[in-house]
Amino acid sequence: MARRTEGSVERLTFDAAAARTTAAAPLPAAAAPAAARPTSVADVREIVRDAIDRRTPLRIVGRGTWLGAGRPVRDARRIELDGLTGIVDYTPGDLTLTARAGTTLAEISAATAQHGQWLALTPWGGDAGSLGATAATASAGPMSGTLGAPRDIVLGLEAVTGVGDIIRGGGRVVKNVAGFDLTRLNIGAWGTLGVLTEVSVRLRGLPEQDASVALAVPNAESALADLLARLRTAPIAPLALEILSAALVRTLGLGTDTVIVARLAGNAEAVAAQRGALAQFGDVSDVPTEMWNRLRVIEPPDASTVRLSSPVARFAETWATASRLAAAGDGVAHGSLLRAVARVILPHADGDLPSAAVDALQATARDVRIFERLPASLWPALSPDVVSGALSRGVRDAFDPHRLLNPGILGDARA
Amino acid sequence: MTVASELPSLLAAIVGTRSVLARPSELVVYRSDGLPGYTKQPRLGVFPRTRDELVAVVRLLAERSIPFVPRGAGTGLSGGALADDVVLIGLNRLTRILSVDPVERLAVVEPGVVNVALTRAATPYGLHYAPDPSSQAACTIGGNVAENAGGPHCLKYGVTLNHVRAVTAILPNGEIVRLGNAEGEADGYDLLGAFVGSEGCFGIALDVTVRLSPNPQSVRTLLADFTSVGDAARATSEIIASGIVPAALEMMDGATIRAVEASIYAAGYPVDAEAILLIELDGLSAGLETDVARVEAMCKTAGARTVRIARDEAERARLWQGRKKAFGAMGRISPHLVVQDAVIPRTRLPDVLATIHEIAHRQRITVCNVFHAGDGNLHPNIGYDANDPDEQARVHAAMREIMAACVAAGGTITGEHGIGLDKLDYMDLIFSSESLAAMCRLREVFDPDRRANPGKVVPVHSCREWHGVRKAAWNA
Repeated sequence: MARRTEGSVERLTFDAAAARTTAAAPLPAAAAPAAARPTSVADVREIVRDAIDRRTPLRIVGRGTWLGAGRPVRDARRIELDGLTGIVDYTPGDLTLTARAGTTLAEISAATAQHGQWLALTPWGGDAGSLGATAATASAGPMSGTLGAPRDIVLGLEAVTGVGDIIRGGGRVVKNVAGFDLTRLNIGAWGTLGVLTEVSVRLRGLPEQDASVALAVPNAESALADLLARLRTAPIAPLALEILSAALVRTLGLGTDTVIVARLAGNAEAVAAQRGALAQFGDVSDVPTEMWNRLRVIEPPDASTVRLSSPVARFAETWATASRLAAAGDGVAHGSLLRAVARVILPHADGDLPSAAVDALQATARDVRIFERLPASLWPALSPDVVSGALSRGVRDAFDPHRLLNPGILGDARA
Repeated sequence: MTVASELPSLLAAIVGTRSVLARPSELVVYRSDGLPGYTKQPRLGVFPRTRDELVAVVRLLAERSIPFVPRGAGTGLSGGALADDVVLIGLNRLTRILSVDPVERLAVVEPGVVNVALTRAATPYGLHYAPDPSSQAACTIGGNVAENAGGPHCLKYGVTLNHVRAVTAILPNGEIVRLGNAEGEADGYDLLGAFVGSEGCFGIALDVTVRLSPNPQSVRTLLADFTSVGDAARATSEIIASGIVPAALEMMDGATIRAVEASIYAAGYPVDAEAILLIELDGLSAGLETDVARVEAMCKTAGARTVRIARDEAERARLWQGRKKAFGAMGRISPHLVVQDAVIPRTRLPDVLATIHEIAHRQRITVCNVFHAGDGNLHPNIGYDANDPDEQARVHAAMREIMAACVAAGGTITGEHGIGLDKLDYMDLIFSSESLAAMCRLREVFDPDRRANPGKVVPVHSCREWHGVRKAAWNA
C-alpha cells in the first residue's frame, strides 16, 4: 500500500481545520444585536431570560467549528459559549469527567491522556469543537459502534431551557435512573430544548496497544456483502471498522483502492490475534493510528454531508448507493460497518451542489437519510422537519415555548 | 350506573370475565411488588392476552379518564408497580417473541416476555440479551424498559437503554406511536431515550425491539476473598482505574456470604471472609488470560487471601447463583427487608462502605451489602421486623442517613431500581425544583392527565402547575 508523505498530511490537516472555522453560515450582521458571551450558567440564564423578554431568538454557538450544519437559523442573536470553559471535576479513578459546555474536546483529551485515559467520543469534525456541541448534536465518530455515541457516553448535563430554568439531568456517576431522562432528551436536540452549560461523561482507559490495519476490499457489491457477512462472525472485536472510498483512500494518502480499516486495541496478544484473523480475509497492511484523526477532519469548508443507514444485512447495497452518490458529486464516502451507517461528503462548487449530485441524492431514498449539511435551498425538499410528530412538538413546546433556541435548525419553526 | 360498577363488565367485554379481577381477595397478590414494606390495593386488575386487547383496554380507560398502573412480573424494587385504588394492567400474558433476527442481531418481543426467555430464544444463534437483572428468571422486558433495568453485566455491556432500538408504545390517551428506529439511525428528539426508564408514566410498550449481543468467545470467572470490606473496595477501585473493563465486578460482604451459604443457594463462598469479589472477564480468547492474571495480581496486592478461578461452566453458574439469589437468601433471616440502590463514584467505595458500617452500628441494625461494585452501585439490604416499631424507626433513620452519605459523596439515589414510591422523598436531595418541574412537563407531553402510574417518580409538590391529583372518574 502506498504511504502518504508527511508533507501532504500536514497540509491536509491544516486545511481541513481552517476550513471548518470558515464554514460558519453567514449571519445577518447588520440586523443582529451584539453576540452574548456568557462565562457562567447564571449568565446564560440571564441571556435566555432577556431573549424571552424581547422575543429575540438565540443562535447557540460552541466553538464555531460546525455552524454550517443543520437547517439555517435566521435573525438570531449569537450566544457564544467559548467563554464557558474548563474541567469542573475529574477524578481519574472514577473514569468520569465533568466540563463546562464550551470546553474543547482537545482540552479534555489533553487532561485525560495524562492519566492514561480518554473520552472515546471522537466525533467527525475533530477535537476543536466543544463538548457541549458534541452532545447537543449527538455527533458520533468512528468508535461509536463499540464505545458508544453521546447518548451512551454522556452521564448527565446541565442546561438552561427556553423558559429560562436551569435544569440538570442524570449525574456524574456511571449508572443512574433517577427521574425522567432530561439527559437523553437534550442529546441530539441541537440546543432547541436548552442551552447546554455543563456535561458529565464516562471515560475509558487507553488501550495498551492501539493498532490499525487496512484490508483490501472487493469492488463487486455481492462480493462485498459476502465479506461483510463473514467479518461479522470473525473472532475480532475492533474499536472501529470503517470502509473508505477509493477517493478518500487517495486523499488520506493510504493507497488507491477502497479499503476497510480496522482499529484493533487491547493487550499485545489480543491485537496480534485479531490482525491474524483479518488476514484470513485478504491482504492486510498497517495504517498509522493517526489516520483516524485525519479522517475526522476531512470535510472541505463548503460541502454537503449526508449519512445513509440501513439494516446490517443490506449495508453492502447502502454502501454502493453511497459510492454512486460520492462519484456523482466528485466527493468521498466512508461507512461504519459496525453501525451500518455510510457518510458521504460532497464538495460544493460556488456554494452549491452540482446538479448531478442533487439528482443522485434524490435516488438515495431507500435508505434512512440524515443530513448534516446541505445548501439552504435543498433542506425544504430533502428534510424539511424532524420535529414533526405530536410528541416532538409537545416536547419543544414544553421546553422552548417561544421558539427562541436555534429556531429552524431542526426545521421546527412554528408554521 | 356509575363507571365504578360498569367498568368490570366493560373490561370483561374486551378480555373476558376470567381476565378481570375485581374482588379484593383475588387482588391480594398484586398488593406489593419485589420490595416488601409497601402494600397498595388495586381497584381492579385486567390481564389482556393480546396486543389488540391491551390497546382496547387502554383506549377504554382513556375514554373514561380512568388512571391505571402497568405491571410486568412485579419484581421491581421501588414500589413502582403498585396500583393505589386504580386499575392495574397486568402485561405478563403478552409473552410472544415476535421475531429473532440473527443477522441483524435484533429481536422483537411483547412486553411480558421474561428476560431470560429472550436469551434462551437467542442461544441457538450464539447470541444473548445482555442486561441481566438478578430477577431475570422472572422479570419482563416491558418492566426492564420501564425501569431502564441494569444487572451485573451492565458494567461492560450497558443498561437496558443501550440495548433497546425501538419501541411501539400506546400512550395513555390511546394513541400508538413508534419511538426509535430499528432500520437505521434515528433523527430528531430522542423520545425513545425519554421513554426507557419512564417507569410506566409515559405509556405502555406494545412491542420492544432489542439488540442481541454475540456470546463472548471466552469467559473467566474469578472469586477473590478478603478479610476486610475495605480491602475488597480498594481492589475494585484498582481494577477500574487500570482500564480493564470486566464484564461484571460484584461485591458481597460477610453478612451476605453467610446468609447465602446457609441457604439452598450455597455457592461455596468462604464463610469466614468479610468480603468477596465476583469478577468476570470475557471477550476474545486471545489475551484474556493476561488480563485475568493482572486482575488476580491486583486483588492479591489489595489483600485477597485467595483468588479462585471457576474451572468450568458448572462452577461458574454456581458462583453466580449465590450472587443472584442473595436477596432471596436474606429472606430467611428477617421477616422484612429494605434495599437501597444508590450509586457513588467508584473511588469513594472504601469510605462510603465504612460510613454505612458506622451508621448500622450506631442504629443497631444489620446491613448486608451485595452490589455492583464495578459501577459503584450499592445495594445495602437491611433486614428487620416491621412489627417492632422501635426497630422500624431505627431502620428508617439509617436508610435516610445512608442515602444522604451517598449523595454527599457525589452519588445518585438509584442506579437501576427506579424511584417508584420508595425514593420519592429523596428526589429533592439531588434535583432542584426547576429540574423536577422540567420532568413534570416532560411527563405531561406523554400523559397530560397524569393517569399513567399516578403519584410515582416525581413528587407531587414539584409540579408547579399541579392542580391536585385528578380524582378517579368513578369517584367523581
